[in-house]
Amino acid sequence: MVELALANLASPALLYAGCALGAIGIALALPRKGVSPQIVGALIAGAGLGAMLLAIGIVNPRVLPNYHFYIFGFIALGASLRVITHPRPVYAALYFILTILASAGLYVLMSAEFMAFALIIVYAGAILITYLFVIMLATETPTADAVEALSEYDRYSREPVLGSITGLVLLAGLTTLIGRGVGEMQPASIYTNADRIEWLPRKVEQSLRRAGLMLPDEHIARGEPAANGAPGPLLISLNPGPDGAIVGSVTVAYGQAGTKVISSDDPNWPADLGISNPEGVGFTLLADHPGGIEVAGVILLMAMLGAVVLARRKVQLDEDARRDLMARRQSEQLARGGVNEPFAANTPLAPSTLSGNWEGGAA
Amino acid sequence: MSGLAGQLAIMHETLGSLALAAGDAAHAQPRFGTGVGAKFDVPRLFGLIPFIPLLACALCGLCAAMKVKTKLPAAITVGCLLASFGLTIGLYAQVHANPGDFAIIHAFEWINFQWGQSEAQSLTANFSFYADSLTALWMLFVTGLATLIALYASEYMSHDVGQGYCRFFMAFSLFVFSMACLVMGDNLALLFLGWEGVGLCSYLLIGYFYKKPSAVAAAKKAFVVNRIGDLGLSLGVMLAFVQFGSLEYAEIFRKAEPFLALARDGQWQDIPWTVQLIPILLTIGAFGKSAQLPLYVWLPDAMEGPTPVSALIHAATMVTAGVYLVARMFPLFLVSEHALTIVAWGGALTALLAATIGMAQFDIKRIMAYSTVSQLGYMFCGLGVMGVMGGPAHVFTHAFFKAMLFLACGAVMHGFAGQLDLRKLSGLGKMPGWRIVTVAMFVGCINLAGVPFITAGFYSKDTILGDAFANPAMVPIGWILLITAGLTAYYTFRVFFRVFVGPAYYEPGDELHAHDDHSHDHAHANKDHGHDSHGHGHSAWQPHPPGWAINTVLILLTILSFAAIVTVFKADGWLYRMVTNSSAGAGIAADHHHKFFGFDAHAAMKVVSGIVAIAGIAVAFVLHYSGRTSAATSKADSLVPMLGPIPRWAQNKWYVDEFYHFLFVRPLWLLSVVFAAIDKVLVDGLVNVFGWVPKALAKTARPLQNGVLHDYALRMAGGVALLLLIIVLMVNRGDRTSAAASIPPTDNSIGTLPAAPAAVDPIAVSLDPIRAKAQEAVR
Amino acid sequence: MNTLFCTLAQSGWPEPMPTGTLFHYLVISAAMFVIGLIGFVTRRNLIIMFLCTELMFQAAGLSLIAFSRFHLNHTGETFVIFVLTVAAAEAALALALVVLLFRRKESLDAERWAELRG
Repeated sequence: MVELALANLASPALLYAGCALGAIGIALALPRKGVSPQIVGALIAGAGLGAMLLAIGIVNPRVLPNYHFYIFGFIALGASLRVITHPRPVYAALYFILTILASAGLYVLMSAEFMAFALIIVYAGAILITYLFVIMLATETPTADAVEALSEYDRYSREPVLGSITGLVLLAGLTTLIGRGVGEMQPASIYTNADRIEWLPRKVEQSLRRAGLMLPDEHIARGEPAANGAPGPLLISLNPGPDGAIVGSVTVAYGQAGTKVISSDDPNWPADLGISNPEGVGFTLLADHPGGIEVAGVILLMAMLGAVVLARRKVQLDEDARRDLMARRQSEQLARGGVNEPFAANTPLAPSTLSGNWEGGAA
Repeated sequence: MSGLAGQLAIMHETLGSLALAAGDAAHAQPRFGTGVGAKFDVPRLFGLIPFIPLLACALCGLCAAMKVKTKLPAAITVGCLLASFGLTIGLYAQVHANPGDFAIIHAFEWINFQWGQSEAQSLTANFSFYADSLTALWMLFVTGLATLIALYASEYMSHDVGQGYCRFFMAFSLFVFSMACLVMGDNLALLFLGWEGVGLCSYLLIGYFYKKPSAVAAAKKAFVVNRIGDLGLSLGVMLAFVQFGSLEYAEIFRKAEPFLALARDGQWQDIPWTVQLIPILLTIGAFGKSAQLPLYVWLPDAMEGPTPVSALIHAATMVTAGVYLVARMFPLFLVSEHALTIVAWGGALTALLAATIGMAQFDIKRIMAYSTVSQLGYMFCGLGVMGVMGGPAHVFTHAFFKAMLFLACGAVMHGFAGQLDLRKLSGLGKMPGWRIVTVAMFVGCINLAGVPFITAGFYSKDTILGDAFANPAMVPIGWILLITAGLTAYYTFRVFFRVFVGPAYYEPGDELHAHDDHSHDHAHANKDHGHDSHGHGHSAWQPHPPGWAINTVLILLTILSFAAIVTVFKADGWLYRMVTNSSAGAGIAADHHHKFFGFDAHAAMKVVSGIVAIAGIAVAFVLHYSGRTSAATSKADSLVPMLGPIPRWAQNKWYVDEFYHFLFVRPLWLLSVVFAAIDKVLVDGLVNVFGWVPKALAKTARPLQNGVLHDYALRMAGGVALLLLIIVLMVNRGDRTSAAASIPPTDNSIGTLPAAPAAVDPIAVSLDPIRAKAQEAVR
Repeated sequence: MNTLFCTLAQSGWPEPMPTGTLFHYLVISAAMFVIGLIGFVTRRNLIIMFLCTELMFQAAGLSLIAFSRFHLNHTGETFVIFVLTVAAAEAALALALVVLLFRRKESLDAERWAELRG
């Protein structure tokens, strides 16, 4: 039923054609020796991506996401295309930030706004900055006559065609199987975390006050005290209703006089009373996955220690790299016409250029 | 000399008459049983006898590990062996108090398992020790001699102090442990363990100078030849287990009694041939270990080892293990029709052959080695002619004087830098410091030659000769042994007359380096012997006479050799009682009274063998002493051409080694070449093919392993892609087959959402069917 | 406009997500993953290769969020937090290694590190 299920979601022919086009485009757009039709490739790849997005939208227009999805999706994919095709690492990193931003947009579309902002802060704000630092650090010392020159390994990519074909097959297989699998799934209808609103009496209070259901001197009542004198539980009984809304009742005490019960049947009941996304994420993370937090903490600690250890290590240029460097320096000297420069064949290189301390900078 | 002769005559009269009377008395009491009496208890303390030498071995190993550079290992070994000897004396006292009985000392459980319910389906061989008079006899001289020889070796090996010293005394102690297991074990398995243990130690000690190719070759030869014998022994042990269902002596002897009864009545046909085969197989083992005729070739070569080793292992103790085996298992030998005949003939022929070879050798240690082989032949004859007492008795007396002879030879070798050629040594007795060695050598020689009435060797040899002539079936053996006795006397005194008396002369051997650290010893060495005038090129070199340890040992052994007369000069002497009170006593059954030319065989032999010995000595005196002016020549040289090629053949050991080489070694070598070729081509080829296949596969696959990260990643991704493709194809096929049977889905199937009712907000409805339902319910 | 902001609307009861929409997000995610993979396989600059792994992380995160939304709970989102953690740790370590490697050879060419060739 795979074709049927997939066919209900997308036009398989168009999808595969989009894959193929994208693959061809990427293969062309990747930096390569000789003629590098990057722009053509990028166009073809863009067309392929478009075809793919079209393919998934063309069959059943009623379930189309809104156009924000297309905008963000296109930006995300296009930017990631540029990440892998741009010869300059700095630009690749910047395009990656664009991808991140577009992805964050998609997260927001999926009402995961907390994760969207976390993504931007952590990825675009921290990780990518680290990347940029490293890119700046680990760049070959530019020679005098070719300041803008790219490294050889940035100019040529390795096996672009083979890689693209592999990617093509992988993507075709993935989309086919995803289509089949997704076609057999039922969407969830109830937001199961909604009853956690009971854990937030202050929020309920504020919301009800704003709706005019609670007076300023009223507060949510407590139940019978326990046998040992401990105060009883707060009397909130709120649950996710059949349509996802919060239903139930809140018992309110006013002074010493008594209590009253506010039911969700009340017409003034605030419709927006519920768990917000960061609250939900927080509850899930802390209540359901506390072990994961511990593990994450250990991972980060280890990474920090590892980075410190690695950064402290002194590294020498190895033999063949030293030879390469010497040959390069020598050819530069010859090209400039000077012979009695410090980089003669048998003169040891100055330690600052070899020890890996960059304060020596370019010779 | 006249005084000595007078004394001799008196001794002859008194002792001889006693011996005759007692001999008759002993032969009048036949006891044709297993010779095993009742069981008695001894303290378990005596179970330590074998283990104290093992402790010494461990301690010497510790010394080696701690790189001890002193004589500590020797002190340890001598002390432990002395303790062991003391315990052995205690054991002897226990055994002596219970004549004819035996005790079993259980040390610990060793082999004990069952494979069925019945009694026969179990194998028990414990580390238990069987103590009867035969055991005590053997252990007395094993531990006693070992102690003395260890003391001797402490000086003899002093040039090797350090790792080699530790190694020597380790193997030495281990040897005593193994020998004690062999002798004291109460079952054949423990005997076999000891048997292999002494073989191993013999190998280790022969190859002690492992940098010398000849020593290594000799060690290998000893090991390999012994393996042949050990094969026979192990087969015999297994067959004994199959036949008797046990390896323990007491059990075997008990179960052999019905066969013994049959054998006594001469009903050989009623005894299964497998039972009769056991002693023959054991004989092969005994002949291998004790260097008898087909398998004797290793013993002369074993003289490559240090001389104390030759004295202890290859003359006094280990080589008598075969004799012990025959004596211990004598009840089994009695149930075989031919086993004892084989033993007797093997022994007799060996005795004669070795004596003839010994006559023609020039290396004094080798002469002693051949005399050992020859005397071992005597011992086997003593057992084989059903005399029983003579064999073990000769073992005992021989142990002392042969050890002494070897130690005296060793002293010569030690003093003259390895010189052993009797043509290059002469008149040692006249050199200062060599008197004790000369006396010891003389005492040893008269014992070996069997000078009548004053030597223990005479009496024990005489018993064997008398037994041989007393048994009508064994008279030819008696004659062979009598001839051998004359030859023995000749070659023994040939050595003495050539080396220890006559004009003083010496040439040092080729082991000069060993004497550097002894220069202080011979600072006082003889300068008046004119060795400088002989121009041997080592004018600065001086022989050094033995030190206190060697001399003490030699004096003690001289005394012991003489003292041994007490044990044998009567026919029911202590030694004979020791033998007859054990399982070997089973053989004192045949009441042979065959006459030797009308006289009682034993009494006649006293005279005849004495005459033969004196004659042999006289011949040696004439040929090698009287009128000899130089070391290298003697009157015998003029006799040699008259005998044609015989002396040359004898000197070349009758070409037995070459014969064996041609008959066994060469064919086996050729076979091994063939097998090596088969192994190399066929077996190795097959293995190599299996090796080649993965190699070839790897050669094709190796370029994949190019170390480039991208290629690995690409292959990984390609693999995942391929896997996905396969899954997609499989799923498709499954769908096609199941789709045929199922109802074709409508266009509103899974994945799409139900069409929205026109009245409701299309998006809300289209997004959530459940919610739509809920809204309908609300409405 | 209601249609437009429907999916942006944040309330206590998010709308259920139709399977078709989930498929859209998953396809985007798969495409991003494959692009990252192609980049990793073809580009030779070590830093760009690591950027490509980050792309693949990103794709995985996208699909996790999509499933989280589809199942109307926050488990997928919390896993994205872990993905972020691992990505950060990986960036710290991998970039430190990259710097070391660069010091060793004065080059970021991944092909030059082939000491393990068979």
